[in-house]
Amino acid sequence: MSFISKNKDLLLVHSSMGRVDLTGSVNIMLTPEFYTLKREELPVKYAYQAKKIAPSLFDGLLEDGGEYEYAVFKEDDHWSFIAYDIQKIVDFLESKGVSADKIGKIYFAQQAVEKFDKPLLLGEKKILNVLNNTVVVVPRMSVETEDENLETLKFDNTFTPINGGVSIKGSSSDLLSQKQAFTLASIFMLFAGIFIVEGMRYSGSDGGNNELTSLYEEYPSLKSTYTRQGIIDKYRMINQIERKKRDTIKSLSGMIFKGVTLSKVDINDQNFKAEYSCKTADAVKHVKNLAKKAHFHISNSKEKNKLIIEGTL
Amino acid sequence: MNWKRYQNELIVLGAFLIMLFAYMYKYNHTQAQVTGATKSQQSINALKEAVGLKKIWADKNINKKITVLKTIVPSSKVKWIKKKQKITASYKGLSASELNKLTGKILNLPIEISLLTMNKVGTVYNVELKCKW
Repeated sequence: MSFISKNKDLLLVHSSMGRVDLTGSVNIMLTPEFYTLKREELPVKYAYQAKKIAPSLFDGLLEDGGEYEYAVFKEDDHWSFIAYDIQKIVDFLESKGVSADKIGKIYFAQQAVEKFDKPLLLGEKKILNVLNNTVVVVPRMSVETEDENLETLKFDNTFTPINGGVSIKGSSSDLLSQKQAFTLASIFMLFAGIFIVEGMRYSGSDGGNNELTSLYEEYPSLKSTYTRQGIIDKYRMINQIERKKRDTIKSLSGMIFKGVTLSKVDINDQNFKAEYSCKTADAVKHVKNLAKKAHFHISNSKEKNKLIIEGTL
Repeated sequence: MNWKRYQNELIVLGAFLIMLFAYMYKYNHTQAQVTGATKSQQSINALKEAVGLKKIWADKNINKKITVLKTIVPSSKVKWIKKKQKITASYKGLSASELNKLTGKILNLPIEISLLTMNKVGTVYNVELKCKW
């Protein structure tokens, strides 16, 4: 993301700046009017370690009631700590026509100290100058008395520091830009619309009630679930048992062929029994096989070549 | 807390929540329809089963149809006792073809067979049938 930020224009922000009219987002460089700088030599190696102790370094130095945030960067052998009131900065920028969503990265003039080799004019009465390697805002008069032919710098994008810079919430460098937010929101709303329309369509359909209604009209006595279930319970059992009886009779009939005679059959509600007289041993074997296939119980009679087949229903 | 700082995220979050509610609205209606359709289908199946079973086992014309078991063989071979919705029939001296005809009819009539016996005596068959409906 940082290389994108560096392609943006750099806007120098100072208290006497005029209102600006922006078409796209910009990076900001703050003059010392908007931050407090403190240098310290600390035995820490990393910036995040230094940042942890930043609030304690500014104890009693900052105005009460501000929402301060801190930036830390290394300059030669010491750490530079910057405290800034982000809300104050955002409010000031908005008053000058720079809304939060148009702010890319925020840099501090101190981060580009080596670029300020000459004074930089800030309006008519102030200049940005470097004193003791610190970027400061001083009255123009104080410099002009020393040097009547004051050579001044022209501020441009080359002042953008290579590293550092902070982002603010709601700025263009945030997770979502305004454009992205509206695009995403539009997609979500489109889906919401589709879901609502589909939901309404589903709520309008009858889910196959037409067939049921026509059946109720045809059989009004079966409208009641209890009546239906009563009929089903009563006749389902009869249907099951009677079909089994008939299937058994068909199976027993299927065992009659040349050389086999059905001599006796007895079928009641619980079980059945059939006697077959066979002329040959082969016929006996064949009947036995058929009975096994039908899962009937086979028992040999005392008489030769006679088979008794029985089972339960 | 400055809400303006988070306006982009809030816009997206708001739209997302609306989409979520819309999805829940659709889901609820879909589920309601599926549940309704399943219930309707169950009712239809039960109703059709009840109608089908009643048509077979509560046939109002069975009283007439049952007489075929008496007339299918010569009257001299049948002893027929009918009491309300019960029949006790004894068949004596049936030939093989008469037995086949009788068995076929018994199997095709919607009656509850309480007892069916068949004995081969020589070349003829004796049958006893007890049934109700």
